[in-house]
Amino acid sequence: MSWFDRFKGSASQPASAGPAQQDFAGDSAQRAKEWENALQHHRLPAFVTHRLSEAAGGKLPWIATMTPVELAQTHRYRIRPLAMVSGTCWYHYGYSWTNGHTAGWHTALRRMQQEAVAAGANAIVDVRMRKIDMELDSSMDFTLIGTAIRIEGMPPNPEPVVATVSALEFMRLLEAGIVPTGIAIGAHYEWLSSWQRNLDAQGGWSNQPLTTLGNFWERVRKQALRQLQQDTRTAGNGVLAHTHFGQLLKVGEQNNERYLGRHIVIGTVVDSERYHVVPHDIRHVVDMRDGLSPLCDQRPSSHNVYDTNQEEGSI
Amino acid sequence: MSDGTAIPQHALARLKGLRSEGHPGGIFTSDFSVNEFLLVRKAGFEPVGLCVGSCIYHLGIQYASWSKNQEMDVLSQAMYHARELAMSRMRAEAEGMGADGIVGVELTVKRMEWDDKILEFIAIGTGVVHAKGHPGFKGPNGKPFTSDLSGQDFWTLLQAGYRPLEMVMGSCVYHVAHQGMFKALGNVGNNTELTNYSQALYDAREIAMERMQHEALQAKAEGVVGVDLHEGSHNWQPHIIEFFAVGTAVTPNTIERDASTIPDPQLVLSVNN
Repeated sequence: MSWFDRFKGSASQPASAGPAQQDFAGDSAQRAKEWENALQHHRLPAFVTHRLSEAAGGKLPWIATMTPVELAQTHRYRIRPLAMVSGTCWYHYGYSWTNGHTAGWHTALRRMQQEAVAAGANAIVDVRMRKIDMELDSSMDFTLIGTAIRIEGMPPNPEPVVATVSALEFMRLLEAGIVPTGIAIGAHYEWLSSWQRNLDAQGGWSNQPLTTLGNFWERVRKQALRQLQQDTRTAGNGVLAHTHFGQLLKVGEQNNERYLGRHIVIGTVVDSERYHVVPHDIRHVVDMRDGLSPLCDQRPSSHNVYDTNQEEGSI
Repeated sequence: MSDGTAIPQHALARLKGLRSEGHPGGIFTSDFSVNEFLLVRKAGFEPVGLCVGSCIYHLGIQYASWSKNQEMDVLSQAMYHARELAMSRMRAEAEGMGADGIVGVELTVKRMEWDDKILEFIAIGTGVVHAKGHPGFKGPNGKPFTSDLSGQDFWTLLQAGYRPLEMVMGSCVYHVAHQGMFKALGNVGNNTELTNYSQALYDAREIAMERMQHEALQAKAEGVVGVDLHEGSHNWQPHIIEFFAVGTAVTPNTIERDASTIPDPQLVLSVNN
């Protein structure tokens, strides 16, 4: 077909278009309406529920984020992957950025769990926290994705546990009596007014710790951690906080400066029997592959949400 | 690895959706990864809580002469003092929660965006207690030990018959002399070593290591493991570099252990990627 034919809009279709992709539920207007309804009433659109329950019943192929190795291992434990589940919440911060993050994640979590319930799952493993950079003012999207799994011969869990570890690690932890059960969030922000004082330094030429500012910052951080503990309370007895994000900002003009400290901590909640002996034997192994060994290299974090201290600050 | 599918009752109950009521032991916080958590427990320890110490520090002013190799001792002192403050606050927090020690300590430095003379130093790690209350794992003077080793390394270290005492560090901020114009002109077209540069970097690194080693000596350590040397210029003028040495001072475990009981590592060729 020449470029001239394109202008004419001639009927001949380009041969490369191929067959159209199949959707489960109607056209886009219909879908939009379903979604709107569902979000409003805190439930799932019918076509999502349908897809998940079909997958659970084995009528649709299962979908899993697992690698083949993980799949092989999970078979040993009679675990069946069901479907990928997700929860998203685009959240606008009105009065507080910090509290917005807490609310955003909690909503996303609830939505993901809803999907898992629809799939009749016992747990969601390999849960990752993601965001998409759209650079929209004072809002952000909070997304969680994971794989819903079912353990054969076990009734579905009305509140599926949420594990931020892969299926393989999940089982290893279960054997050791540790159940990763959810995600906990602690966030806190506070303002500090300088009241006409200069908090930066008294006499800029000498070395000195800034105690007022330091104590303020410590308080903010402690409060966030306390919140994290509060949030953990309902689901487990410990929290492995993998993400720490803090910002100390200074705003305002000379002699009327204010400092904003905000801190977010996110962690995996675990439920474990304390002082319980770990039954595993551990063997020392040396991997013989050059530079490729999965035993040596750092696993890239699968969450992409916050720049943590580790990434920003050098020692 | 214990073979088979022995999942403890408590875990099974949780998966069915049964919650255990109340947590008599309280809730711990930690920045462990799950594997770290597992291995710390395997080593016979339990996490008690996250210990954080931070210090916001104003760096003093120091001028270096343009053409001289010299240590910037005001800055060296500041970088050391600030970290020490952050660490001691972290340690105090650990003592408060009755921890035997802190593992996985991470030291970071952040610049405050409104003033490049203000740096924030953070020390963060997980306080742990020995599950059976063994008293022999405390650090120097009965204080909690500190270590920047990960949970996995901590387990391995104990297996090797050592225990951590204290994180030791040494800092040296150094000004590397600029080359004079005549010297620079003299080098045009020559392949030659810039000896004053070599010398400066050598010297600075040496000082940082010495200081760290001295700290280890004071902690009565046998050695220092996991030493890392960081070079950083925290937005200072070019030619000013900090050398920072940090590691964990260790001592042989008091519970005597014959070297032959340390398991041999096994060789594996992993097939996953």
